Amino acid sequence: MAKDKPDIARLVDEGAKAIGLPIAPEYRPNVILNVERALAIAQPLLEVELDDELTPAPVYRP
Amino acid sequence: MSDPLSKAATAGEIAHAVATHKVKAAAVVDAALKRIEAAEPTVNAFTDILAERARKRAAEIDASKHPGPLAGVPFAVKNLFDIEGLPTRAGSKINNDGPKAARDGALIRRLEAAGAILVGGLNMGEYAYDFTGENAHYGPSRNPHDPSRMTGGSSGGSGAAVAAGEVPLALGSDTNGSIRVPSSLCGLFGLKPTYGRLSRAGSFPFVDALDHLGPIARSAEDLALSFDAMQGPDPDDPVCTHMPPDPTLPHLAEGIEGLRIAVAGDYFASGGEPEAFEAVAAVAKALDASHTVVLPQAAAARAAAYVITAIEGAQLHLPRLRTRPQDFDPDTRERFMAGALLPGSWYVKAQRFRRHYRANVLKLFNEVDVVLAPATPCTAPRLGQVMMKLGGVELPVRASLGLFTQPISFIGLPVVVVPLQRRRGLPIGVQLIARPYNEKAALRVAAFLEKQGVASAPPV
Repeated sequence: MAKDKPDIARLVDEGAKAIGLPIAPEYRPNVILNVERALAIAQPLLEVELDDELTPAPVYRP
Repeated sequence: MSDPLSKAATAGEIAHAVATHKVKAAAVVDAALKRIEAAEPTVNAFTDILAERARKRAAEIDASKHPGPLAGVPFAVKNLFDIEGLPTRAGSKINNDGPKAARDGALIRRLEAAGAILVGGLNMGEYAYDFTGENAHYGPSRNPHDPSRMTGGSSGGSGAAVAAGEVPLALGSDTNGSIRVPSSLCGLFGLKPTYGRLSRAGSFPFVDALDHLGPIARSAEDLALSFDAMQGPDPDDPVCTHMPPDPTLPHLAEGIEGLRIAVAGDYFASGGEPEAFEAVAAVAKALDASHTVVLPQAAAARAAAYVITAIEGAQLHLPRLRTRPQDFDPDTRERFMAGALLPGSWYVKAQRFRRHYRANVLKLFNEVDVVLAPATPCTAPRLGQVMMKLGGVELPVRASLGLFTQPISFIGLPVVVVPLQRRRGLPIGVQLIARPYNEKAALRVAAFLEKQGVASAPPV
């Protein structure tokens, strides 16, 4: 399925604003690059289909 | 048998010599401190040297009637371990301004209870978000085999200190490969135990879901000796196992009889340089392992480990990213910032996938006991190198050194890295992967390979 290329620069600018993380102009290009890299590296995970019944395996026990 | 005062002496040899009164712990510590002084200008492994503390402890060992299985063994720890009286740097400038630790981390206490002697804190990549051993604040740790090259990280000082023969034993941490990568690039034996097998209490966290602690040494026996001394439940680490210690050392000489050993194919057989696969082939040949197994969806496992790391690490450091961004290492800062902006749905999917992948990989262990895989896709890159070619593809060095380690630690399997010294060129390691809580099997194989002369870790 073809998809639109995400606007990572906008995601970084708006996301940082939303979570209250100031990103100085000199850091911004590298943050964008690293989000792009994360998107590429995460792809094999994002393409996996999981059954609804599959829950994580937490160790937290109350 | 090496001279217990020489850099070639293993922890086992030193402990034996001290226990049988052939040498004093005080002399062993003095010799180690001299070696450290001589090697540091080249390798930059240590950030803190604890001469006074170590000498005091040595005197106690020499006065003790039962000094323990690690009597007089000098060791050092990655500086994310709490050391009483020092700030726990975790490779950072920010933490170095923080409070001093009130007591030693759990594993330091356990090793010292067994007679070992802490001589210092070791350099590391900032906040352990690193595979290179480089650090903008404290300088890079340098590979003793070629100081113009990386040690690998993030336990870079641990690799450098042991490879240079400054100490026979060091502790590191491994979230995605940070014990195994420097073990491979520095030509050392390294153990990343089962997730939860060793207490992480009193160490600075990185990614709780994936953090492990473990030893780096120059023999399989030293891994077993130290691992056995560090095992056992610890209520201070909620992830730590309730299982009682299960000593591995008594089984080390059992050889490989009865162990089913296979080579990891598919994902683990491509995407690296020829030397990585040649090392696996050499180990497989020595073990007569011709069977291949496939860890299904290993690429997705690597992706999931990456996502969990990026998001958990960023969340941990978000307050500092807001208030002191200028004090981060530039090589971690923007990666942490990026991690803070990744979708939460990715994280949950990665955690759900973890359970799925674990179930499938554990099925493999019905048929095999130990799986062989490369530890790193290449030998040590040059310091400062940003990109490298792997299998013909240009990739970032930082993210790629852990390609083969991440899918394994992701589900907490125990791994021993064995080092192969290459006649021409730098050393490289092979992962011996076992089912959860079966460190024993991987250590037996490592000891066998050492006995056969296939794996070795002479100090540089």
